[in-house]
Amino acid sequence: MRVFRRVAISIISILTAFVVCAILIRTQKSSPIEVYRALYTYGLGSWAAFSSTLNTATPLIFTGISAAIAFASGVVNLGQHGQLLMGAVTTAILGVYLNIPSWLGIPVLAVVGGFAGALWAGIAAMLKRHYEMDEFISTLMLNFIGEYFTIYLATYPFLDRKAYVPATRLIKRVYFMPDFNGLNVAFFVAVFVLVLSFWYMKMTRQGYESRMMGYNVEFARVGGCAVESNSTFVLLFTGFLSGLAGALLILGGTQHRFMKGIGANFGWDGVMIAIIANNNVIETFFYGLFFGILKNGAIGMEFETSVPSEFILFLEAIIVLCVVGTRSAIEYYSQAIRSLTKLRKVVAEK
Amino acid sequence: MIDLTLHILRATLSSATPVMLAALGGMFTYYANIFNIAMEGMMLTGAFFAVYGSYFFGDWAIGTLFAVLSGLLMAALFAFFAIYLRCDEFITGIGINMLALGWTTYALRSTFNVKGALISAKIVPLPKWRVPILDLFEPIGSIISGHPFLLYLSFAIAVVLEIVIFNSRFGLHLRATGEDPEATKSAGINPIKIKLLATVLCGILSSLAGVYLSLGYVALFSENMSNGRGWISLAIIILVKGRPISILGLSLIFGLFESIGLILQHYKLAPQFAAMTPYIATLFVLYLYGKRKRKMEW
Repeated sequence: MRVFRRVAISIISILTAFVVCAILIRTQKSSPIEVYRALYTYGLGSWAAFSSTLNTATPLIFTGISAAIAFASGVVNLGQHGQLLMGAVTTAILGVYLNIPSWLGIPVLAVVGGFAGALWAGIAAMLKRHYEMDEFISTLMLNFIGEYFTIYLATYPFLDRKAYVPATRLIKRVYFMPDFNGLNVAFFVAVFVLVLSFWYMKMTRQGYESRMMGYNVEFARVGGCAVESNSTFVLLFTGFLSGLAGALLILGGTQHRFMKGIGANFGWDGVMIAIIANNNVIETFFYGLFFGILKNGAIGMEFETSVPSEFILFLEAIIVLCVVGTRSAIEYYSQAIRSLTKLRKVVAEK
Repeated sequence: MIDLTLHILRATLSSATPVMLAALGGMFTYYANIFNIAMEGMMLTGAFFAVYGSYFFGDWAIGTLFAVLSGLLMAALFAFFAIYLRCDEFITGIGINMLALGWTTYALRSTFNVKGALISAKIVPLPKWRVPILDLFEPIGSIISGHPFLLYLSFAIAVVLEIVIFNSRFGLHLRATGEDPEATKSAGINPIKIKLLATVLCGILSSLAGVYLSLGYVALFSENMSNGRGWISLAIIILVKGRPISILGLSLIFGLFESIGLILQHYKLAPQFAAMTPYIATLFVLYLYGKRKRKMEW
């Protein structure tokens, strides 16, 4: 029943978002039906479109799960963007110089990229633990620092002089992650991470403590949870996931090198996905796929209609606001109505 | 050397202004106990609509008017979600910021048909004012005089707000609402109304910060132009616990860091490191604050 209600609320709110956007597309003198049809055709229409959607969704799933675990534990890690970039740049640089066989190289590079992300989050974790700095501002600031730092690395020390834009050199061909019929192995890693995260949050003692911290930190502290070390761990773990997203973007994506703008908006997309999914790991996965459809369909939409692909960023924000607004309005006002009817009943009895 | 110092000080005033205006806007919501992080988005839409008005009507005043209206719209959206639909304020803020980023990027493409940045001679910047008397005293005059008028206005606003918040009826009501909305309700003040007013004022001031960014600092609009200044202003508010006059002081410090970074760019420092300075400065100030707090607790 609870699951049914949640799905129903999600569907209602997504429909609301689409209606709002249809009106906006109308005011821009385009046809909403054509836009949505193009989104569907290029996002889900064929196996080629679908596999490419899954590839697009992979980094979103990682950053989404990263944000979801952090928020569910009451740790406001907003630094997915910076952590992803640090992971990506580390993998991209090592992938050029490292010289080991393919079967060992790919996992090593992925894990090292993950650790680079964890390290970047670790700065925020250290500042939080020792100097009581809010991780929410420090991770945000580290996003900007990380972005400029990685661009610096790609522009000066590791610049590929043959590239047209500031970029590092192409990683060795042996480290390219294989495709299965167009679907990259990176997606399976995402599924594995989903299972791992679900297990961590629901089955382990630490995950339970983390969730309790998300409900109420003080209560968790009194109840005997190791709040400090748990939140440090959560920051490192979510940083690792974001770093892994960056590493797989290099190993399994289409560019195979680090260039300016490779992180796109994955960090904030992940945050938005986690918010819509109410910090639930499983729901995050499905919303990640949903955003993947939108992003992949956007390219086709720009191709077919006069609406530029930037419109999707706007559509995503509308969806977030509609979902969150509808959900909390339903919860709040149904509660209010229920208590009002109860009050009436009590008054009538007297 | 003296020239350089004067240049840095002059740039300091200029870089401090947008951060200060946004922080002053956020100050209202801080005192009303609304966890508002939407300054970044309000600033960005303000910057966009200022350029929009200025470009199509050839007048900075219409640009400013457009920006303020957009700030009102964003504030209304925030209030609708956070106050009426009872959404989490933090989540609403993130939603609004993303909405602003998405909308401005999309509108830049669909209205002006450019990607990245709009640079045009048709964008009329804010007029620059010369301060009559200070002009005569040379070193001071060259630092203070000749800025866009919004800079003087925002410094004046900071001082006025210091008085308004601590010495006026409205200030008292605002702070009381933040302390305990139920108690203010029993004293005959409508807390919803006060919160609404605080959000609207935040929208106006933040969008003015955007106007300064796109029409005062330079005369262009680029994607994600606010680039974290809204977040820095939030850090400032939290650090000084909302006091307007301290916001002024701390903004100047941030302005100093930013302008030093920009100057260092001319001395073989990579531009990326120069761009990092305000964010590193924020972390550093937070670190100093955390360290002091820790010492006091011991």
